[in-house]
Amino acid sequence: MINIKSLLIIFFIVFANFSALSDDSDKVITTSSDFETTYNEDEIFDPIEPINRVIFGFNNIADKIILEPAAKGYRKLPSPIQSGINNFLSNLRAPLVIVNQLLQGQGKNAAETTGRFVVNTTAGVLGLVDVADKIGLEEKEEDYGQTLAIWGVGDGFYVVLPIFGPSNLRDSAGLFLTYATNPFNAYAVSEDEGWIVPIRTTINALDRRSKIIDEVNALRNNSVDYYAAVRSSYYQNRKAAILNLDDSELTPLPLISVEFE
Amino acid sequence: MNFLYKILLIFLLNTTPLLADEASDWLKKKIDTILDAYKDTSISKVDRFNLIEDSINNNFAGTGISKFVAGKSWSSASKEVKKEYVKLFKKHLALNIASLMQGYSDQEYELVNAKYDEKNKVSMIDMKIHNDTGNLLVTWRVKKSKDRYFVIDLIVADISLVVTKRSEFNSMLKKVDQKLSELNDILRSQNESSYSIIIN
Repeated sequence: MINIKSLLIIFFIVFANFSALSDDSDKVITTSSDFETTYNEDEIFDPIEPINRVIFGFNNIADKIILEPAAKGYRKLPSPIQSGINNFLSNLRAPLVIVNQLLQGQGKNAAETTGRFVVNTTAGVLGLVDVADKIGLEEKEEDYGQTLAIWGVGDGFYVVLPIFGPSNLRDSAGLFLTYATNPFNAYAVSEDEGWIVPIRTTINALDRRSKIIDEVNALRNNSVDYYAAVRSSYYQNRKAAILNLDDSELTPLPLISVEFE
Repeated sequence: MNFLYKILLIFLLNTTPLLADEASDWLKKKIDTILDAYKDTSISKVDRFNLIEDSINNNFAGTGISKFVAGKSWSSASKEVKKEYVKLFKKHLALNIASLMQGYSDQEYELVNAKYDEKNKVSMIDMKIHNDTGNLLVTWRVKKSKDRYFVIDLIVADISLVVTKRSEFNSMLKKVDQKLSELNDILRSQNESSYSIIIN
């Protein structure tokens, strides 16, 4: 009898506790300020949504068939090789980052990035080793889209570019400027070695995609509207980049996109 | 009055980091519970998901998040539809988080920074996930309610899970004339699809 009584008490304690935990989680009150967002931010200006959805569908298929399998293969390369490629590509981006930091009035950051470029190009064997990071010169990213935003240019409407992925009018203009003013691409073309440009763009896309395989799959497999999820993610990430909430390379964008860099 | 103000300021400055540290300790235990479930190869995928789902249901403010995500459709829905929606949303949330955490189960992580937002009464805890080729920053937003903590959002690479879900659901609700009952059908079907992926 005592045993039954004890069991009943234990049963009651265990289940009352479990139920209390669930009940407590139901009673937490949340407001929009908890998530630092407003209803207005839900309304992304997307007047060409039907066309964007078609292009998005095409990009998604291209990613599943080509980019994701290739990125999975790339991830099987030894880590030092992947790091070397990543460092090399980052170093090639540095001159344009410096230009954009100067255009945004970030003199100190521009000096640091210049220091990084000099150290990594020399001591880091053409940028293959990120020596600068070890001496406290952190990598920071800036692009023309961010510069235009700082200058007061609005987003324009949302657009999905074939192959290049989610963007908006301002960032598309930034992408074009990146392509047009990239000194390494210009040099390669002037030397009749223009084939290097698409190769570099492809390797860059593979390198970036290989870092976000799990994140993209989690988003793709669990979204009731994958297009809307990617659109929102793009705007949140760009907003953070423009505000320089985190301008290091710590957080790669978990979206499928290809960039001219 | 000036003296009282100083005392209050000193008290706030001293307690604010403590609240963030306390939340951080609590969070570490909960993250480890989920990651340990992935590392334990002796349990089946179904049992593992059930374990993770229980942990998420108990430690995430699922109902509050679901109401926020539903936006203006929430107020016009009937009690039964709301109840069904909350149940389906909690499952959806568990599937999303389980799917994301699955990718991090074999990686090392550390909680690197904890801040307390006095204005919104929310702790923000940064988790740095290490892998061979780089790091990823995940921020957990944690809120205290009735003397215990609850996760209210998960931010990966500056992208909030809750804000993304709200935008996604808002887009879907527009297509079904803001009818939460119709969203429930879509959500049920999505949950079945996500579940089959996670257990196979």
